[in-house]
Amino acid sequence: MTALRRLTGVGLAAWFLLPLVPLVLWAAADVWRAPAALPQQWGSSGWSAAAAAGGWAAAGRSLGLAAVVAVLGTLLGAAAAAALDGGRLRAPRTITALLLAPVALPPLAVALGLDVLLLRLGVPAPVGVVAVLTVAALPYTTYALRVALAGMDRGYAEEARLLGATPAVVWRRVRLPLLAPAVATAALLAFLVGWSDYVVTLTVGGGQLVTLPLLLGSAASGVGDEPTVAALALSAVLPPLAAALLVARLARGRTG
Amino acid sequence: MHGGRRAALAAAVVVLAGCAAPDSDATQAEGQSWDQVLAEADGQTVSLWMYGGDEAGNAYVDDVLTPAAADLGVTLRRVPVAETTEALDRVLDERQAGVADGEVDLVWVNGANFGTGKQAGAWLCGWADDLPNARYLAPDDPLLAEDFGTPVDACESPWHKAQFTLVYDSAAVPDPPTDLAGVLDWARANPGRFTYPAPPDFTGSVFVRQVLTNVAADDVPLDYSADAFDEVTPPLWDVLRELRPSLWREGRDQPTSQQELDRLYADGEVAMTMTYGPATLTDLVADGTFPPTTRVLTLDDGTFGNASFLALPASSGSQAGAQVVADLALSPAQQVAKADPPTWGQFTVLDLDLLPAADREAFDRLPASPVVPPFEELSANARPELSAAWVPPLDDGWRREVLGS
Repeated sequence: MTALRRLTGVGLAAWFLLPLVPLVLWAAADVWRAPAALPQQWGSSGWSAAAAAGGWAAAGRSLGLAAVVAVLGTLLGAAAAAALDGGRLRAPRTITALLLAPVALPPLAVALGLDVLLLRLGVPAPVGVVAVLTVAALPYTTYALRVALAGMDRGYAEEARLLGATPAVVWRRVRLPLLAPAVATAALLAFLVGWSDYVVTLTVGGGQLVTLPLLLGSAASGVGDEPTVAALALSAVLPPLAAALLVARLARGRTG
Repeated sequence: MHGGRRAALAAAVVVLAGCAAPDSDATQAEGQSWDQVLAEADGQTVSLWMYGGDEAGNAYVDDVLTPAAADLGVTLRRVPVAETTEALDRVLDERQAGVADGEVDLVWVNGANFGTGKQAGAWLCGWADDLPNARYLAPDDPLLAEDFGTPVDACESPWHKAQFTLVYDSAAVPDPPTDLAGVLDWARANPGRFTYPAPPDFTGSVFVRQVLTNVAADDVPLDYSADAFDEVTPPLWDVLRELRPSLWREGRDQPTSQQELDRLYADGEVAMTMTYGPATLTDLVADGTFPPTTRVLTLDDGTFGNASFLALPASSGSQAGAQVVADLALSPAQQVAKADPPTWGQFTVLDLDLLPAADREAFDRLPASPVVPPFEELSANARPELSAAWVPPLDDGWRREVLGS
């Protein structure tokens, strides 16, 4: 059993990490010509080219956008999950379906359709980007928090109430700590929606927000700049990976 | 890719709906004096949307063009896109919404993207001929009068020229062919050492058109018609079908993009590659991507040439600034800086005979590339591109007749 589990773990790690190996090699290569198995010349030319292309500013914009989407998406998702959990809604299934709809709709169609509407309404481009991406994040945050609420052992809260805690104290001292891993997961998922988006940021954003995915997408459409593309790609992959590991550790710490 | 589908859809809608709203008449420039334009441009910010996959091009705009624009009081911002259709999508959205202060002020564009935008009335027209530096353009230059068959009508200002070019490794091909028929013979005599990107890839599509003009009994009419198509294409399909077993991996795996073909060439799998942007070859050789024995194959029967342009959307809120940048980009100083291979190596659109002596000498002083011959030699017998309307039927025909066979 444990052997199988370990094997699965190793397999999964390989599945996720192996594609990163050529990326890491390219990002550390100045010259790498086939058929050599390893770069002929190591160096950091990719990173300096990525920085010269505006990599730092783009990473800053990506971080800002993702953080705003994470905060708004988690707050709204929590509100939706709490309302659905209360059992006082008239058509909970319809509302759930509406909230989950963005997953089923191709983001491209949504982005292009909404772009004209947002332009007609005169919504400033960055506000439009945040609004569309927050809605795109809602299915994930709502689902994560809804599951956590449904699975929460209500006994603790009742116990605390019996011991004389006010509802506010019960929320702060009992419910929130129990929900913390789910909130962290929801925030991470919403962060990823904002961090990785290309089409909404470009089209609805009208080119005002040149984020990492925009820089990476345009750089990757050419040939001969592999070290630069690899450096940009790693910059785009590593922060979410670090955040995911952090959330995983947090969740394990809470439950374990 | 998705952008392309959408732009194509928009084009279809415009065609089908005829004069449906928003009206597709071109917006004409106001005909201000150049001094008025300069004064209005001062302090404006211009967003130039351009394909961002060319590091040298990005660096030229950021390090050479942008500071020069700043000297004229215009802040130039580069918006990198993976495909030009993404810029066109935004322009069409802004047009549909009736926006007058849009986020796209200039687009590096040509061919179908220009044609689609023009059909939709998305570009500002009647301004490009009035730019002061437009006097250095040859009035009878066919590459600047029509853009893949769409009349330019001063709706876009020329930026650089391109020449479809075949490229070979002289170490692998010691005795290179001198015309396209010779290239096909060479490919058949050396199985597995030649291939071309599968249409609808841009470069693969040009290669098919190049073979078409070569094998057609009569001249291929530039304007598309179904009758002309049926008349000239059968020998084309015969030749390409017959070529297929001699291609790399017997044609079972054709590269789907020029980038893939370039990688095959860089890895030594094939001995030839092809490009519409030969200016980048010098750099690709210098940085070791391509072997040092890489050479350009000049063909006696000539190849397609085209120009690319800067188009100004009618929805732009910084039209004066955009015109100032387009004029600056056309100036002899910028054109010669851009033509220098280490800077970008793009061929000039200017007619050197019309330039003042000092500017002409600056072009003469450009270093010769060991890989790419001078543009005059490269563009000898250049043919203007067929109309963009030829491209989709040829791409479809290739899939049906060559791939499906």
